[in-house]
Amino acid sequence: MRRRPLARRLLSAAVLGAALVVFLFPVVWMLLTSFKTNAEFFSYPPVLIPKSFALTNYLNAMRMPPDGRGGIQGVRDSLIVSLSSMAVSVLVGAPAAYSFARFRPGGEHLSFWVLSTRMFPPVASALPLFLVFRFLHLLDTYWALIAANTIFNLPFVIWLLKGFFEDLPVELEEAAVIDGTTVFGAFRRVALPLVAPGVVVTALFSFIFTWNEFMFALLFTRSDVRTLTIIVPSLVGGHEILWGQIAAVGVVAIIPNVVLALLLQRFLVRGLTLGAVKG
Amino acid sequence: MATRVGPEVAVPARSSAAVRRLRWTPVLMVLPAVAVLLAITVFPLLYTLRLTVVSWELTTGFPPAFVGLQNFVRVFGDPRFGNAMKNTGLLVLVGVGAQTVLGTALALELNQLRRARTTVLSLLLIPVMIAPVIAGFQFRMIYNDQFGPLNYLLDLLTHGAVRGAAWLADPRIALWAVMATDVWQWTPFMTLVVLAGLQAIPGELLEAAEVDGAAGPQAVWHVVLPLLLPVIVVGVLVRVMDTFKLFDIVYQLTAGGPGSVTETIAFYTYLQGFKFFSLGYTSAMAFIQLAVITVVAQVFLRYQRRVRAGIAA
Repeated sequence: MRRRPLARRLLSAAVLGAALVVFLFPVVWMLLTSFKTNAEFFSYPPVLIPKSFALTNYLNAMRMPPDGRGGIQGVRDSLIVSLSSMAVSVLVGAPAAYSFARFRPGGEHLSFWVLSTRMFPPVASALPLFLVFRFLHLLDTYWALIAANTIFNLPFVIWLLKGFFEDLPVELEEAAVIDGTTVFGAFRRVALPLVAPGVVVTALFSFIFTWNEFMFALLFTRSDVRTLTIIVPSLVGGHEILWGQIAAVGVVAIIPNVVLALLLQRFLVRGLTLGAVKG
Repeated sequence: MATRVGPEVAVPARSSAAVRRLRWTPVLMVLPAVAVLLAITVFPLLYTLRLTVVSWELTTGFPPAFVGLQNFVRVFGDPRFGNAMKNTGLLVLVGVGAQTVLGTALALELNQLRRARTTVLSLLLIPVMIAPVIAGFQFRMIYNDQFGPLNYLLDLLTHGAVRGAAWLADPRIALWAVMATDVWQWTPFMTLVVLAGLQAIPGELLEAAEVDGAAGPQAVWHVVLPLLLPVIVVGVLVRVMDTFKLFDIVYQLTAGGPGSVTETIAFYTYLQGFKFFSLGYTSAMAFIQLAVITVVAQVFLRYQRRVRAGIAA
């Protein structure tokens, strides 16, 4: 492509620079706030750079109540729920994805139905699930959150992995079957290792979806289980709002997201469009 | 992608046992997944359907009573549902519209970069990845009318000529403040999608357009955008489905207020179900949302096949 005139390139740089400022400022502001004392938060003009970058807010926010904000419980519970739902979805979803990619059992209809469950409005499934979980005494347990999140992760995993399997040339598996391997063997020993990067990407996406999930955590838990997405709004709704400490919980809550945004970039478009756009 | 029919793996014609295994293994492999999905989606669906025809108010203690289609009649006569519908409609039309226009413009700029492109895109994508509830918290601080950076910036830039607003408490502004947060979070998503589409356009096409005398904005409008349309449609459909379910940001920023000016359908359904405990009525509303989403999802599914077969494949 030809080099564009200098003026046009400067304009372009200005636009992208402004975009970066706009899209990163709220995140940076939360990071700065997480180091501010209450006096620094409640001051006008607002303090941009806090006087000290001591980790006081983080230590107080992470400790359990009554003297702390319980952030560490959020980290623990978010990890347990996200990792469990991820594991179930990938274990159950990978064979199904392979089968859909290679054999189309049930034709287009079955695989379409699977994906359409992903698009369920959560608020529509929340009430019946709530009543079921109450009946089974599963409210405020990990089980309820793991099950509810799997509704959305399993179809996602199947659909995305199906795309990865379809990208694989079929000849290797054919050769394996001719050599006497079973279909499941061709999946486990030939296809699965070849899409290993795809499995990792899919698993990480599923982890993030649960990590970010809010409505189910709000409705199905109370005190025994409290994910990070629950802790932040509940502290904002508290009678004494300690902005610095809440921001500290917020910063901890977005660490995996920021890391994965940087790591997964090549696969983001595929994951976020349910495989519709491959990038 | 051409439609492929039948088993992809060649059948070694050895024994009928092998053939039978080949026929049944694929079914066995999808069975656990289908069973799990049936258990956690179809059951709630049928249960919801059954609840739509009863009146069941947990607050009164009366047992559920059959009311026929009364709940649906009530939905369409409920001004608060109409209000939530209008708000959600605005968020979809104006909000997703803004994300599409801004996102496409950014993608066209970003496409001009060479080495810096990956880095800039990664940074822009951070909002997309973080939890909506956390995004809501960030904007709660930014919108703070006394100590927030937004009102300070307005004050500074206009030397006090423009008075900052109570962004989340002013009923004329609150919905737009909620929308701005959603636009902030998802514009980079559209950028990502459009950029992927741009990179799939063969360079020769653009050169041919240039030879034909189309350059700059003209080439973009007449050559690039039509080619991008399928990808943009997929991105828009994903966003429409998500925005239709918008809940987290509303909960964190305004809790539907002031009054009910920022209530979305998802938020109002949550209120009816989990604050007012009107189970039959909630189910009727949930069912209507399910129907709307199903229609959009069907369009998405048909479209996605075309896009995968087309330029973005």
